[in-house]
Amino acid sequence: MPENMSISVNGQSQVPPGFRFHPTEEELLQYYLRKKVSYEKIDLDVIRDVDLNKLEPWDIQERCKIGTTPQNDWYFFSHKDKKYPTGTRTNRATAAGFWKATGRDKVIYSNGRRIGMRKTLVFYKGRAPHGQKSDWIMHEYRLDDNTVDSNVSVSVSNTIVGEGNQEEGWVVCRIFKKKNFHKTLDSPMRSSIITAETGSQMLSSCNEGALEQVFQYMGRVCKEDYSDENNTMPRFLRTIDTAGYHDGSFMKLPSLESPNSTRSQNCYRPVIADHNDVGPSSNQVSNDPNLAYHIDSGLTNWAVLDRLVASQLNGQTESSRQLVSFSTDPSMSYFGPTDHHELQLPTVGSSSSNHGNSQEYNSEIELWNFTRSSSSMSSSDSLGHVVMNGAGA
Amino acid sequence: MGDGNVNLPPGFRFYPTDEELVVHFLQRKVALLPCHPDVIPDLDLYPYDPWELEGKALAEGNQWYFYSRRTESRTTSNGYWKSMGVDDPVLNSSNKKIGMKMHWMFYMGGPPTGVKTNWIMHEYHLSDSGSSSSRSSRRSGHTKIDFSKWVVCRVYEQNFCDENDDGTELSCLDEVFLSLDDLDEISLPN
Repeated sequence: MPENMSISVNGQSQVPPGFRFHPTEEELLQYYLRKKVSYEKIDLDVIRDVDLNKLEPWDIQERCKIGTTPQNDWYFFSHKDKKYPTGTRTNRATAAGFWKATGRDKVIYSNGRRIGMRKTLVFYKGRAPHGQKSDWIMHEYRLDDNTVDSNVSVSVSNTIVGEGNQEEGWVVCRIFKKKNFHKTLDSPMRSSIITAETGSQMLSSCNEGALEQVFQYMGRVCKEDYSDENNTMPRFLRTIDTAGYHDGSFMKLPSLESPNSTRSQNCYRPVIADHNDVGPSSNQVSNDPNLAYHIDSGLTNWAVLDRLVASQLNGQTESSRQLVSFSTDPSMSYFGPTDHHELQLPTVGSSSSNHGNSQEYNSEIELWNFTRSSSSMSSSDSLGHVVMNGAGA
Repeated sequence: MGDGNVNLPPGFRFYPTDEELVVHFLQRKVALLPCHPDVIPDLDLYPYDPWELEGKALAEGNQWYFYSRRTESRTTSNGYWKSMGVDDPVLNSSNKKIGMKMHWMFYMGGPPTGVKTNWIMHEYHLSDSGSSSSRSSRRSGHTKIDFSKWVVCRVYEQNFCDENDDGTELSCLDEVFLSLDDLDEISLPN
């Protein structure tokens, strides 16, 4: 408590009523972190230094108070996570648990120019790999190593760059407790009422909160830059080829890092092929087909789709299990827009048929091989491969 | 807006809680006490469409704040505000009711046939017994109607989740990734 007195803002009347520290991501990076790394004085010491290995999230909450008003998020500077040349992932461990990265990093722009990245981490209580997930979330913002020139981000991808002086590698962090999507309606900013046109465009007959917002989100997320060297996502998911996206009638698919990949194609055609020759009836994975989505051409993010499918097959994530059904029936490899009981993929062209699709395409790449996966996926036997074809043309 | 006497470092914004709006702004306005900071302007019975508030009301992000008066019908030049039928009590930290928060939605056109929009208004007014400033004049009787009818309003255009990834909450996509982290044992091609 006495430490808090060093924050001049912590004096009673420093922050007028109604005002709170709510910086944009750009402000965090461009103003606060940039000043921090260049040893400039920051007007009010509102962002303190925190050793993430020493403080639990609930301690940070106490240490990073600003004024006396209630806070939903807390800010601090910390050192970049230390990484070892071996490539093993190090967790930011505390006495009670550890922070673990999730999702994929987001690029932060300022005036259209890339300035840094945001990493999302979750606090787990206990010890890896058996930690128990908590509601504590951290967004860790880092400046690009070379922010003078916006065009050099490619050269930074070498992991060796920037490792030399990690003592000076500051990041600025925001922690908060995750809210349940169903409970956020009290916030004026986060209500999730779906207008008629948006809802029907994306999906039908779904009232689940998180997933429906995800599908709304996916239409735009593909525009983001996925090029991040620290990403936990597999390689093929990192870049999204948006060349083929004109009017939403074509799907955007990840550009594959294969010598056969034809990135210059105007569009890709998704095809689900059954390589195991298992009867169609045994391929129905969903417990209840009626719960399945009808996903229109608004579905554009294969990364999410693939993970949803994976979770579906694993049968572990309840929400996914309820919301997505997936069929590998060859006859479903050509989806029509009227079948609401199957996961729908957009129809492109008219030459597809129940079999022999692959002949028409010049690049057939194995995107997802479930047979390579862990043995826990008992229900995945029938789903041999999900293959993705570049459009032949 | 206001007197411009708020000089805070970057990142500080006007994000009042319901309690702060009522206690620090509405109660003081009603009691004719000066509000410090004096940032919320007085638009009285404003005739403005919500998108006309820019430059007139206190703007913070995509929210606008102003004082007004209680009224049954709020008609503007292009539409009208209609109650959403939700009234929430505003409680202070000791769980005492100090005001009410009403929800309005803006409709384009004329009252029976207006077209719903995404514009929402929160209207805060003091509860009858909650205001300590009116303790002397109890209920009914000789209450100064003018002052007790002050309200403070927040207007904003409702957005969807994807436009809101400002880092203060888990993004929708990260929410899914997080829920799927339990499946990390699946060996993704790497």
